Amino acid sequence: MVNENLVKDVVKEPYKYGFVTDIETEKIAKGLNEDIVRLISQKKEEPKYLLDFRLKAFKKWQKMDEPDWAGLGYKQIDYQDIIYYSAPKQKEKISSLDEVDPKLLETFDKLGIPLTEQKKLTNVAVDAVFDSVSIATTFREELAEHGVIFCSISEAVKNHSNLIERYLGTVVPASDNYFAALNSAVFSDGSFVYIPKGVTCPMDLSSYFRINSGDSGQFERTLIIAEESSSVSYLEGCTAPMFDTNTLHAAVVELIALDDASIKYSTVQNWYAGDEDGVGGIFNFVTKRGKCLGKRSKISWSQVETGSAITWKYPSCLLLGEESVGEFYSVALTNNLQKADTGTKMIHIGPKTKSTIVSKGISAGNSINSYRGLVKMGTKAKGSRNYSQCDSMLIGDQASANTFPYIKSQQPNSEIEHEASTCRISEDQLFYLQSRGIEFEEAISMMVSGFCRDVFNQLPMEFAAEADKLLALKLEGSVG
Amino acid sequence: MEIIEKIKTNKLVENQTEIQKICLDKLQSSPLPNPKSELWRLSDKSKFSTFLDYSVNEKDLKFDTPYPKNSQNTIRLIIGENCQIKLIEDNYSIQQLSEHELDKYIKDQISCFDQNENWSDLLNLSLSCKKNILGLKINGSKIPPIEIFSHASCNSLNAKTLVILLEKNCDIQLLQVNLGKDNSSLSQSTFFFLEENSTLTHGVVSYGKNGSNLLNSLNVIQQKNSKYNLGSLHFKFNYARFEINIKQSEGNAKTNIKGMQITKKDEQISTYTKINFNGPNGFLDQINKSLADDKSHAIFEGSIIVPKIAQKTDASQLSRNLLLSDLAQIDTKPQLEIIADDVKCKHGATISQLNEEELFYMRTRGITLAEASKLQLSSYFQEIISFIPVSKDRWDLLDKILNEN
Repeated sequence: MVNENLVKDVVKEPYKYGFVTDIETEKIAKGLNEDIVRLISQKKEEPKYLLDFRLKAFKKWQKMDEPDWAGLGYKQIDYQDIIYYSAPKQKEKISSLDEVDPKLLETFDKLGIPLTEQKKLTNVAVDAVFDSVSIATTFREELAEHGVIFCSISEAVKNHSNLIERYLGTVVPASDNYFAALNSAVFSDGSFVYIPKGVTCPMDLSSYFRINSGDSGQFERTLIIAEESSSVSYLEGCTAPMFDTNTLHAAVVELIALDDASIKYSTVQNWYAGDEDGVGGIFNFVTKRGKCLGKRSKISWSQVETGSAITWKYPSCLLLGEESVGEFYSVALTNNLQKADTGTKMIHIGPKTKSTIVSKGISAGNSINSYRGLVKMGTKAKGSRNYSQCDSMLIGDQASANTFPYIKSQQPNSEIEHEASTCRISEDQLFYLQSRGIEFEEAISMMVSGFCRDVFNQLPMEFAAEADKLLALKLEGSVG
Repeated sequence: MEIIEKIKTNKLVENQTEIQKICLDKLQSSPLPNPKSELWRLSDKSKFSTFLDYSVNEKDLKFDTPYPKNSQNTIRLIIGENCQIKLIEDNYSIQQLSEHELDKYIKDQISCFDQNENWSDLLNLSLSCKKNILGLKINGSKIPPIEIFSHASCNSLNAKTLVILLEKNCDIQLLQVNLGKDNSSLSQSTFFFLEENSTLTHGVVSYGKNGSNLLNSLNVIQQKNSKYNLGSLHFKFNYARFEINIKQSEGNAKTNIKGMQITKKDEQISTYTKINFNGPNGFLDQINKSLADDKSHAIFEGSIIVPKIAQKTDASQLSRNLLLSDLAQIDTKPQLEIIADDVKCKHGATISQLNEEELFYMRTRGITLAEASKLQLSSYFQEIISFIPVSKDRWDLLDKILNEN
């Protein structure tokens, strides 16, 4: 029998990003009403169409009910007790990184995010979002040479208004769901990426989201447009300080891929998950969806979900273009009292579309880890294929692993395959490794890493290494 | 509320039994199943209301469809017609449950009912009069196979209930046949209790006719070391639901299920299974096949629940589906809910059409496309049909499925 306590010790690594940056911030009053929505829009000096978009979304949100079908059982969120706009005070316009508040730079430095010059060598362009606003975007000039637009969404509203007006809300409409409606009404910032026709983005793009205030929610919105024959790899990371209150994070990500374009969207989500007793932690309700509009376009989601008290997230692909491809690779790790309900939706609309789903869930402690996915073949999806694989690993006899795949087909000339399995850490394998002198913790870590290999292989190099380490850290002390 | 009013005002319900009253009371708080719940979400509302529209009928008209000839060594019972049975032989006995035993068992079951999950049972028990409830107690071995029939009458809603207690070490084969009539609704609820070391090889054949509807619910409780094998086939129903609820109350039991549903025209047939492992060392092997043609809709939803107590459970569930027409649709949702960590659980699902390579192979050998398709389909069906016990050969099931329109 594997020593349960030892495994528990393996997962108990403290959350190392839990510090708070002491910085002067501008916050608006708590609560949500039409005036607040107007105020946010006014603060961001938005054009009328965007204010209308927000107000329409707000009206819809008011009429909607918070979804409870995932059965996550979190404590009720008081939407009037949240600050919907919080920004670090700084000069209006920043022309170079030197003008960014050093405290902010220090924060991102602590988080290991390459904002400063010496770190630029890593060749990843970063958009850093602190609470409600984007504070810096690196490598802009280099990207601009290739015609790539990479900036905060607020800037895009000002400088590329035509693109925003044309695409915002076309993939995730304001009325899509409760949290998407809330985000559409109050979104504060986020990243905007535009890759012009025929351009392969010369470097990986990345945004880094940091929640700093305990009482403000984070509602960022990301929009990525890949024109014909372009390609981009985008990375997203998130952390938050440790507060004993729950912070709401409701983001929306929209991806659009035109003919022959490809978007790879990778996430390492490491929001604060709350302590061992489930106090505090981020409530993470995210709507991520990509639209493969063009022929042979491709959208690939890969995610490593290790943080948040509650995760409610289903990155999806709408496969409209002929021969378009959707992919979803996910590792979700839950420990202590975390609850994760995550999965994907692959909606095959166009002919000869293909999708692959690989989901690995690891539940430890008293956590609940569910895969919930939908694969749908529409009537016109002739010659389409889907393959799904969902594996769960249980660590300890208090954790729960659920699999809820919804499969619907209206097209006889299509194929869907789904398989799922649940297992525990194999004692034989563990014994084998230990008998060869590998430490218990390392053996566990190796096995978890092997279990997740299919997904890690899909992550960009920088992320894969980080994800491997993250998982090992998160599992420290929990495997039994 | 209409259905409740209908039951209440039914002139035929002269002497409502206590069970009927209890169920009616429960139904009153949820007169219809929750259409948003997973169990009823995909159910065709207009078809379901057709099911409920027929007038409640307790008196069956003499059933005129000839059953296949009874073989000498088979015991045949028709619920509502000839339910009197008492067979006490040297090595086995089949007896009716006393009124008291039957009441007690059903009441115990009702006490655990969930208003939405067991809505079909509540409806059935509020409709079934004493005459239409068959309760049996069986023990012994080398028991002759048993056939039990339930059938509907034209233009009416009938309810039939079957309760069987299998005593320790008992081993039987039982074929249950639900027959639909033109424009009819049949509510069938079945309750099995398998005591230690007992084995039940159970077949369910539900065979409809034009415009017939069926609400078929099966509840099985298995004690340790019991073995339950189920082979089921549902076809030719305008609307049919087959709800299977199996509980391995102490674990250490074996369950094998092979089910199939075939939908054509604009039919909707669904199968919902819930397997609950309430103890260690449980075993499940389940396969459910669907075939949807024309404008029909086939649904499968299976859930496997493995709580902490159910260590060493070995469960597998496979949903295989054939979609043969552009206008047909298939929904399938196999689910796993697992807490125990030392388990082997897996599920799989596929949706496809007939294998083109195999068809091509056969055609190159001079077999017509129609024949080749039939050959492929018969092998697809045969796996399930061969699992249905007793008189399956006399029913010509394969011929009925392949050749009847």
